[in-house]
Amino acid sequence: MNRNDATATAEVPAPPQEGDYPPWPLALNFRAIKMTDEQFLQFCADNGDLRFEFTAKQELIVMPPSASRTGWREGQLYFQVESWSRNDGSGITFGPSAGFILPNGAIRAPDVCWGIKERWEEWEERLRAEGKEDTFAEFVPDFVIELRSPTDNLRTLQAKMSEYIENGVRLGWLIDPRQRRVYVYRPGQSAETLEDPETVTGETALPGFILNLQDIW
Amino acid sequence: MNRNDATATAEVPAPPQKGDYPPWPLALNFRAIKMTDEQFVQLCADNRELRIELTAERELIVMPPANPSTGWKNNTISGELYIWAKQDGTGLSFDSSTGFTFPNGAMRSPDASWVARERWDALPEDERNIFSHLVPDFVIELRSPTDNLRTLQAKMAEYIENGVRLGWLIDPRQQRVYVYRPGQPAETLDDPETVTGETVLPGFTLNLQDIW
Repeated sequence: MNRNDATATAEVPAPPQEGDYPPWPLALNFRAIKMTDEQFLQFCADNGDLRFEFTAKQELIVMPPSASRTGWREGQLYFQVESWSRNDGSGITFGPSAGFILPNGAIRAPDVCWGIKERWEEWEERLRAEGKEDTFAEFVPDFVIELRSPTDNLRTLQAKMSEYIENGVRLGWLIDPRQRRVYVYRPGQSAETLEDPETVTGETALPGFILNLQDIW
Repeated sequence: MNRNDATATAEVPAPPQKGDYPPWPLALNFRAIKMTDEQFVQLCADNRELRIELTAERELIVMPPANPSTGWKNNTISGELYIWAKQDGTGLSFDSSTGFTFPNGAMRSPDASWVARERWDALPEDERNIFSHLVPDFVIELRSPTDNLRTLQAKMAEYIENGVRLGWLIDPRQQRVYVYRPGQPAETLDDPETVTGETVLPGFTLNLQDIW
């Protein structure tokens, strides 16, 4: 019996581990709750230390903050896409906190994504016409990247990539640093697996973009 | 680089650990979400594998399932209370899956509770199928390895402020029982062999040797 340890509360928390139960991310069945986009946006803001998504099956997905190295990798990915995009000029790049409403009703926040500027401006126009502030955009990015963190379940991420493509994304990369693999998703094709690639190219969706993976692994 | 471990998905999950982050239980600020009592009941039913409470500040508290050791202790305590309540006949005992809505708006699920029969009988039928607006006369909370003691102590104080007449916080790790009564500070019993129900549950004695 140790009477000294029980009231200690200021421990440094351990990061989420693979195998934690319930597993992160936590999925809450949210069918019973009716909420507007504005309420959901407020809910996300009220819980700023957590990240949320909402699935087409009406599950609220609760994600912990990124582990530090994962956050660093997200930054590297954003930087590479944005550097290309500034030169290219045809689209805009979004970081990991941007949520989008997909045609199937899901609200997803890809780790990095990019969309054609003209299409984005149409959305901005619609926002202005409706007199709305910034909200979750009804906008499907042309290109998405998901980065697998140590706690992410691979199959869950693969299903999410397929969902992106079914909803109109033209090119998707699932980057798995642990396996040093990139899974490439394209409409009408099964996913292609690249083993330990040095680079991946943006094909026709992002002409001229080459992602250097040596910086990421 | 290990290519073999990454696609394994059927691992046995580890129970929650003290120090997990985000910590369990998870608290979600729920102020922006409007829901009726019925929707809340449905939300909990739709997430049966999780235990859910709502605080007076409208935080949704999401708790993982109990580990078997805590579950066994909890079941033992509930069983003792049930046996006494059945023989006594003046009230009903409730298990840890039961939610009550308190006057401050919180919905809580004590690990075990008891309500005097005349108060239960006075409850309208439609109140029995939601998280009833009914304050138990007696509650027990059992501290699990992942429970923060101060959080549980605040919860016990909240029970008493909302009309509970007797509350026991049982902490197996310290082998302590904290006894909460209206208008008094909590009393700490160090390694007691038994606790008694005093005037609220006359004749009820919980033997703690089974629990420690």
